[in-house]
Amino acid sequence: MSFIKNFIEAETVSRRNFLLAASYGVSGAAAARMFGPGPAAAATYANPTIAWSYRNRTNPYWNEIASGGEAFVRSLGMSNDDLTHLINEGSSEKSLADVKALLAKTDGALALAIDTNDAPNARPVVEACAGAGAYVSTLWNKTDDLHPWDFGDNYVSHMTWSDEGPAEQTARILLEAMGGKGGVVHLGGIASNNPAIERLNGLKNALVDYPDVELLDAQPADWDTQKANRIMSSFITRYGDEITGVHCANDTIGYGVLEALRAEGMDVPIVTYDGNPQAVDLVREGRILATVFTNPHWGGGITAALAYHAAIGTFKPSREPRAHREFYGPTIMVTPRDAAEFKANYLDDVPTYDWNDFWGPTNGQIMYK
Amino acid sequence: MTEFTTVTAPRLPSRERIVKWAPLLVLAFLILLFPVFEWLEDFRGGEDHFYLLDSRFFSIRNAARVAIAATPALMVALGVTFIIIMGSIDLSMEGTVSVTAVVFAFAFLAMGGTLAGHAWLAIPLALLVGAAIGFVNGVVHVKLRIPSFMASLAMGFVGTGLALLVTGGDRVRVEDEWFRSLLTVRWFSFPVMCYVALLALLAAWFIQSRTILGRNFYAIGGGEDLAKASGLNVERVRIMGFTLAGVFFALGALMAVGRIGIAETVTGKDFMFISITAVVVGGTALWGGIGGVWNTLVGVLIVNVINNGMVVIGLPSFLQDGVLGLLVIVAVVLSTNRKSISFVK
Amino acid sequence: MYALEKVDKRFPGVHALKAVDFHVNRGEIVGLVGENGAGKSTLMKVIYGAHQPDGGRIAIDGRAVRFQNPRQAMDHGIGMVFQEQSLIANLTVMENIFLGFERQFTAYGVIDWRAMAAAARTELAKVRLDIDPATITSRLSFAQRQLVELAKVLTIEGRVDGDLVILLDEPTSVLARAEVELLFGIVRDLTKRASFIFVSHRMDEVLELSDRIYVMKDGAVVDVVDRADADADAIQHKMVGREVDKEYYREQKQKPHGGEVLASFEGVSLEGAFEDISFELRAGEVLCLVGTEGSGREAILRALYGLRRPTSGTVTVKGRPVTRFTARDGVGRGIGYLPRERKVEGIVAGMNVHENMTLAQLPKYSVGGVLRVAAERRMARDWIDRLGIKTPSERTDCAGLSGGNQQKVVLAKWRSGGSDIFLLDHPTRGLDIGAKEDVYEMIREMSDAGAGILLVADTLEEAIGLGHTILVIKDGRFRKRFDGTPGRKPSLYDLLHHMI
Repeated sequence: MSFIKNFIEAETVSRRNFLLAASYGVSGAAAARMFGPGPAAAATYANPTIAWSYRNRTNPYWNEIASGGEAFVRSLGMSNDDLTHLINEGSSEKSLADVKALLAKTDGALALAIDTNDAPNARPVVEACAGAGAYVSTLWNKTDDLHPWDFGDNYVSHMTWSDEGPAEQTARILLEAMGGKGGVVHLGGIASNNPAIERLNGLKNALVDYPDVELLDAQPADWDTQKANRIMSSFITRYGDEITGVHCANDTIGYGVLEALRAEGMDVPIVTYDGNPQAVDLVREGRILATVFTNPHWGGGITAALAYHAAIGTFKPSREPRAHREFYGPTIMVTPRDAAEFKANYLDDVPTYDWNDFWGPTNGQIMYK
Repeated sequence: MTEFTTVTAPRLPSRERIVKWAPLLVLAFLILLFPVFEWLEDFRGGEDHFYLLDSRFFSIRNAARVAIAATPALMVALGVTFIIIMGSIDLSMEGTVSVTAVVFAFAFLAMGGTLAGHAWLAIPLALLVGAAIGFVNGVVHVKLRIPSFMASLAMGFVGTGLALLVTGGDRVRVEDEWFRSLLTVRWFSFPVMCYVALLALLAAWFIQSRTILGRNFYAIGGGEDLAKASGLNVERVRIMGFTLAGVFFALGALMAVGRIGIAETVTGKDFMFISITAVVVGGTALWGGIGGVWNTLVGVLIVNVINNGMVVIGLPSFLQDGVLGLLVIVAVVLSTNRKSISFVK
Repeated sequence: MYALEKVDKRFPGVHALKAVDFHVNRGEIVGLVGENGAGKSTLMKVIYGAHQPDGGRIAIDGRAVRFQNPRQAMDHGIGMVFQEQSLIANLTVMENIFLGFERQFTAYGVIDWRAMAAAARTELAKVRLDIDPATITSRLSFAQRQLVELAKVLTIEGRVDGDLVILLDEPTSVLARAEVELLFGIVRDLTKRASFIFVSHRMDEVLELSDRIYVMKDGAVVDVVDRADADADAIQHKMVGREVDKEYYREQKQKPHGGEVLASFEGVSLEGAFEDISFELRAGEVLCLVGTEGSGREAILRALYGLRRPTSGTVTVKGRPVTRFTARDGVGRGIGYLPRERKVEGIVAGMNVHENMTLAQLPKYSVGGVLRVAAERRMARDWIDRLGIKTPSERTDCAGLSGGNQQKVVLAKWRSGGSDIFLLDHPTRGLDIGAKEDVYEMIREMSDAGAGILLVADTLEEAIGLGHTILVIKDGRFRKRFDGTPGRKPSLYDLLHHMI
């Protein structure tokens, strides 16, 4: 069977060369790159391994991230299998160990997109990659003192989202729907998770402008539908009709809340976060007032794209402004008014993104408090 | 010669008698405890509050909520009860629940997506899948002589993996009004799923007390060597036990999907902790031979009442896990006879 | 010096010690004899602190003491040399000697092995054992281990100011004569610093070593004799308390049997257990297997039942050679088995009386896997009446019944199932006399009803009194067959002669 494999490999290489040439318009430049490192300090690679390291695919969010990564790889003319998946299962140790193993295997010829599972793990991962001459782009987690520009070209970029602003926007939509009075409950993510904290803060920020609305209770539902369901029904026991609005930290929690409300025959406005397809459907039906789409598909694709193009030398990270090295990801508010349009544009038909437009949809440089 | 013949006192020693009823007492205590906190809260707020009468916790509507939350866990815990009575343990529930939930949802949608049509066939299919997983579990445990906790834990992971394979990480929504009437239709304040659970409980009780299989579970748990010496086919009973447990896990999966209308890879999450805890808190001995389905019912209710009550009295969330852990330990201390400490390993 | 006064001890269903008076003088060797179940081991356990007496008092030098556990007894100078050796085989000799008392050799939790070895050598010298203290215990011979055990107990000396009392529980049972001499020499030497309580089944040894001998029977001390007045026959009489009583074993009820052969062994061997055993068991016959512990009697029962597969020979049950050796098949062939340890193998604790009775024949009490509990209970009530089982109801947990009643439940379990071959392994072990009589009665009754009974009796007298036929087994081989017809019954000494 090896001849088939050889054929496919040869085929992908030649197609990639063709695409590369096309994207540059200068076939000679691409060919030159094939036969030796460029003049820059950091070595580039003609054919780096592309890898995505994340929690696992059971989680719909990470599933979207991974599928974005696959879409990017396909856009290079390769197959889904050419994206190496490193699954950390929520373990930072495994995350780092897998990266090191892959670095050894590829001898540094690696374009890595990674969520390091927790912030402290980002530094050893980045240092390992930089030390081996690989190119790495991080998503979500890194410590505030770790910056891409301190590692020359090898630490390509970091993207994260500030959830406080969008969560505040959904909260305002909810509070308006409540008529600016009554009681609201919040069901959060895992208490120590940064996004969980930011999303609750968003609600609190909005509440400042609505003095007649009381925050009755806020409890962590661990991003879990069943736990959210249980907590919501307990909230109903405790507060009964005082609850006139529910603010959920994500869509998954929202599903559990909706079912708890349905079991009681209650009709209370709720808002969620993440913009999962099913949540968008519920927004369209008017059962959820608003959700926020962070476009994980694009996030997964572009993070891999940044690492890859830096690795092959399409652009030189160290020459880019800081806003191109550390930036916020895109957010799109989905409300009943625009849900149908949004669904058509982003979900029913996953848009074909231009994976060379690295920074177009982003939301500016990361600000540290 | 009669002076030498001593007759043992006919009744149970009082300590054992207390232990027998302790789980129920713990449950009653908890049910009366939470309203006290509500009363305290209103009292401080200067409101009138007449202990149970004005309690939001102690109300039919909240009872229904606790019952809804407890139903899937009860099904899973019933299954594992049989295994624990045999002196084995089954840790495959999370994977089994996930995979049966997902298989059910896909089959249900594929066969028309409504109970009114052919889609009801998805229900026996899910039960069959549960039985098959349990059967494999039992065969691996018995024939390959792998300790049951290891065999079943491994099978659980296989189940989770299968569920992921089938869904690719997506959720499957089951929106059929007929199926969802499990949750939405109520008779006497309680949704249909509670009555289905009651039927399953009675079935489990029947199996436990009125069938050869149930009797054999106790015999194996109480003395495997003797069971063998009495001519029981211990291996077959074990395999049948795991198969039966698989059926109950599948029932739990159906209830879980009925409750939130979603089947996904994480549907089975947390069932291991809650079901094993419930069985032990209910007073079924981990070393086998003692306990039964009613103990499990009480145990499941204890755990769910604690979960519900803590939120209802407004216990800060960061305390809840700790308090649940402590209450579980207290409940185990009160409700089990730990004289036979040989199991504490 | 050390005295028990009117000490009482009860267990559920048994009055194990009845107002026992017992004392040991300084430097004395006291013998303790009695039949199985006379209360010797309970008395020993009270002395070394494993049991706490329910009544009476324990005094050392006139001061009352109470031990919560053996460790406290040790602190008062009382040590036990166990029959089942208590040494841990994979530890070294010195580790065993100082197990639990390593602290004297530690500094900041680190053991000074050299100091421990030196101390161990001193202890070993006391028992005249010249071995390296660092030897792994499992390498030692049995006699050497017995001496290490003694040395271990003697370490109490260094920790206690007062006098020592050392209990020796059957220390000679597995020793050769020369080793016994050696042990006795050491014990006599040690009387300079310790008193001994010596328990043995070997009457001659007790007479040889002891200064005074306590005779126990049914939980009471029935006699105390000085060595000068001691006489083996007289002591044995006191132990048994009666002539071998024909009435007691229902001998007059023994009827000649002449039934067909129910089961037979033809040249059956089981490696490591018995060799070339042949016998026939006929309907109505009580066949007793007699031999010492470990002579292979139990293995014969288990092979007939189907729990062990013989290595060669033919086992025939009801005319058919047995080819499948599983308990299930044994049950199917109508064999009922009463194992020795009822708690372990006889009844399922936690299950009630009727559940235990029907355990082996559930299909008979069910339709399509669903039990007919009412029928079960009827049957159980019937057998409770027939056997006079003392239980509040058929729904009582078997674990709460006395030993004798548990035994009856197990018998009922097999009899109700229509078994006609019964394998009884020590059916009266641990029962008090009333309960024993009931069991004898049942054995006779079953034999009258045409059942074949293979019995491993608890005492030789039982075997003589109950058996139609008595087979003596020694070291797994058949030695002698005795006819047990009344009037022709062998004497105790006939049997003993072939057993030992």
